Amino acid sequence: MIEINNLVKSYGDKKAVKGISFTVNDGEVLGFLGPNGAGKTTTMNIITGYLSSTSGSVKVNGHDILEEPELAKKEIGYLPENPPLYTDMTVKEYLNFICDLKGVAKEKRKNQLENIVAMVKISDVYDRLIGNLSKGYKQRVGIAQALVGNPSILILDEPTVGLDPNQIIEIRRLIKALSRNHSVIISSHILSEIQEIADRVVIINRGKIAAIDTISDLSKRLSGQSKLLLTFRGPVKDAITKIRTVKGVSSAVSRVVDSKFSQIELTIGASDTTETRVGIFNLMAREGWPILELRSLDPSLEEVFLSITSGKGGAKS
Amino acid sequence: MTAIFKREFLSYFRSPVGYVAIALFSFLSGFIFYSQFAVGTVDIASEVITLRSFFVVIVPIITMGLLSEDKKRGTDILYYTTPVNLFNVVAGKVLAAFALYAIMFINVIIHIIVTVNCGGVFGVGAMGTIIVFFFMAFMFISMGLFASAITDNQIVSAIIAFLFILITQLLSVISEYAYTASYSIVKVLGVKADAATSFANAIRKGIAWLDPFVKTQDFRLGIFSVSSLIFLVSVGVLFMYLTFRVLEKKRWSQA
Repeated sequence: MIEINNLVKSYGDKKAVKGISFTVNDGEVLGFLGPNGAGKTTTMNIITGYLSSTSGSVKVNGHDILEEPELAKKEIGYLPENPPLYTDMTVKEYLNFICDLKGVAKEKRKNQLENIVAMVKISDVYDRLIGNLSKGYKQRVGIAQALVGNPSILILDEPTVGLDPNQIIEIRRLIKALSRNHSVIISSHILSEIQEIADRVVIINRGKIAAIDTISDLSKRLSGQSKLLLTFRGPVKDAITKIRTVKGVSSAVSRVVDSKFSQIELTIGASDTTETRVGIFNLMAREGWPILELRSLDPSLEEVFLSITSGKGGAKS
Repeated sequence: MTAIFKREFLSYFRSPVGYVAIALFSFLSGFIFYSQFAVGTVDIASEVITLRSFFVVIVPIITMGLLSEDKKRGTDILYYTTPVNLFNVVAGKVLAAFALYAIMFINVIIHIIVTVNCGGVFGVGAMGTIIVFFFMAFMFISMGLFASAITDNQIVSAIIAFLFILITQLLSVISEYAYTASYSIVKVLGVKADAATSFANAIRKGIAWLDPFVKTQDFRLGIFSVSSLIFLVSVGVLFMYLTFRVLEKKRWSQA
């Protein structure tokens, strides 16, 4: 369990983190969301003891990171944004070095490393130089490094950045598997990624907490502002007035894509997307306007922020 | 500490650095020994003393990457986020560089064996210079490690270490210049000649007092002074502490 209390980090006049508080419960996966520069990495660096906070406290399973750093750090496995890998070592040498650093007893070491290597699936590159591994494998070795010493909490800073889609899926699967017996804090700036893995989300923006909520509540709050993208052929003005009458549509903004074929792209604000899509389809069919494309626009992180910070969602904490 | 030592020491041999340093030292020591051997008068003490003047080249090579590379690779985060003590990190790195120096020194030991077997002398004076050699190696390695801590660029780190060691080696020369300079400055300010001389003398003495080479020159004669060894160790420990502070400061950095 991690208790974070009123964390502040200032760099000169600039405050990177302005009073963040939240707790991570045992066995929970907490998503840590925010745009680049929001203070995610700084916060994670403070939790792991890499940086010291200007004020505020971090307690890891009851141990203050500044007062009992060694006990607190034993509980945490950290994968920074750039995995701290020695490219001149083999995976085996590297993981043994990490065991040395974390003080893993010799007799436990073999067993533990075997488990980790099997779990993150790096046995086929175990004797290769880290410098020669692909990005996906490097990321796995980074996760393996975090797992050494059997910490109860894992902190992963953007673990899927720079990976190809296959690797992203594999890493997500791995994190899900790990969450069975670890508390996990995972940061990302991709909403859908967090949605898949996390139980609860902390959204921070400009160093402040914008929202803390469970995934389902957050999506509920956001579903009121879902959007649809519709491309069709038909008359602009007529279409907009008619679409506005469809049940659930709150707004429609048009953009003429191709005037020659009177091809129109509409961004439609809708409350319930499935019902509204049916309504729109029926309307289009009635009018004889061919639909070229109809899809729901997932709210981007920016929109989530806008809606949350504009007070519609409102921070619950 | 042993973890860091092991990693750093082995990493010398995962890159050309260790080999380059050993090759350079072997060449230099071999060359010095050979030129003595060829004329039939081998003096191990003078060989070791000559080898001391190459600290300025070899130490920067072996210390430049010790901390700067960690910063560049991002591996320094491991020292802060694992339950390892930062001072042990510093000590482990110094020890690794020191161990590499010890390995290079095998060359000289071979020369000693050859000398003794050919009926040459390996006396107390030579023993003394060897002791001084290792204490100095420790001191300069600490300086080099400090240089490596304040930058994330190996080249910059090497240049800073080079300058530190060069300045230390030139302290007696610098003290002479400081004498003339301070004398003329004080004279311009209108101080009387005697007073100016004694002031400038004090500055010269002060700077010369720092010179580790002057401090330890009697070792060659078989006169061992513990105080000068303590001086070398103190400077080394001071730079280790400064390195430790630089690493600590990063955590508290406000800028």
